Amino acid sequence: MWVYEKKLEYPIRIKNPNPKLAKIICTQYGGPDGELGASLRYLSQRFSMPFPELKAILTDIGTEELAHLEMVGTIVYQLTRNLTPEEIEKAGFADYFVDHTTGVYPQAAGGFPYTAASMQVKGDTITDLHEDMAAEQKARTTYDNILRFCDDPDVIDPIRFLREREIVHYQRFGEGLRIATDKLDSKNFYAFNPSFDKCEVKKDKK
Amino acid sequence: MTERERLMKRISSYDFAVIELHIYLDTHPNDKAVADKLADYNAKSNALRKEYEEKFGPIQAKRDNANRWAWISNPWPWDNNEEGN
Repeated sequence: MWVYEKKLEYPIRIKNPNPKLAKIICTQYGGPDGELGASLRYLSQRFSMPFPELKAILTDIGTEELAHLEMVGTIVYQLTRNLTPEEIEKAGFADYFVDHTTGVYPQAAGGFPYTAASMQVKGDTITDLHEDMAAEQKARTTYDNILRFCDDPDVIDPIRFLREREIVHYQRFGEGLRIATDKLDSKNFYAFNPSFDKCEVKKDKK
Repeated sequence: MTERERLMKRISSYDFAVIELHIYLDTHPNDKAVADKLADYNAKSNALRKEYEEKFGPIQAKRDNANRWAWISNPWPWDNNEEGN
C-alpha cells in the first residue's frame, strides 16, 4: 500500500509559461522512457524477484518514480498556465490543446499516448535488472536532451535534479545485479532463470 | 518565498537525504554509519514536519493532527501560488 504526502520531492515554482517546452517535457510523464513507465516497470517486476534486497530496491525506486511523475506533471502544469489562444498557436501547442486543453496527459513528445509496449516485465532476475539499468540511462539521456531546449532556471533546476536521480538509481540497480549474481552459481549466470528455476541458488553464508 | 515555502524547503532537503540513504541501505544493509545518519536526518525532518503541520496543515492525512479542512485546502503541491492557481 502507499500513503500520500502533500509535498513534492523537490520544490518547483515556475514563473513564466512556456507551452512549447511543456510539450517536450511531457514525454517524461507518459513517453517511452518516462517516469510512469519507470514506476510501472519496477513495481511490476518486483513480484517475481527472488531475493529480499531486490524486492526492496524495486519497491523503493518504483515509489520514488511516482514522486518524479508528480514532479514532471507539476512542471507541465505550471508551464501551461494563463495562456491565450494566440500564444498556444504560436508555440505549436494547438495540437495538444485541442485534445487535452491544458490538462496533463501521459503522452510522448511525438504525441503518442502512454503505452506499456515500451517496457518489459520478463520474470527473469538478470534480464529485468539489465532492463532497469538501461531504463535509467534512457531516462538520463532524455533529460539531457530536454536540457538542450531549456533556458529558464526555474525549469532547469528541477530537471537537473531528476536527471541526477537516474544516475543514482542506475548505480543502485548495478549493485542489485551484483547481489543477484553473487547468489548464483558462477557457471550458470545466464543458463537458467533464478526467478523460476529453483536449483543452483547459493545458500547465504551466515 | 513565503514562510510556508521556506519551511517546506528545509523539510524537503532532510527528506531527500532520508530517501537517498534509505535506497543506499537497500543494497548496503550493514553500513551502520549510514544507518545512523539516516536516523539523524529523520529526526530533524520529523521535528520540522511537526512545526509545519501545526502551522499549515497535514503533510500526511493519517497523522493525528489531520484536520479535514486543512487537508483539502490549497495550496496542493503542484499549485503555483498560495491561492491554489
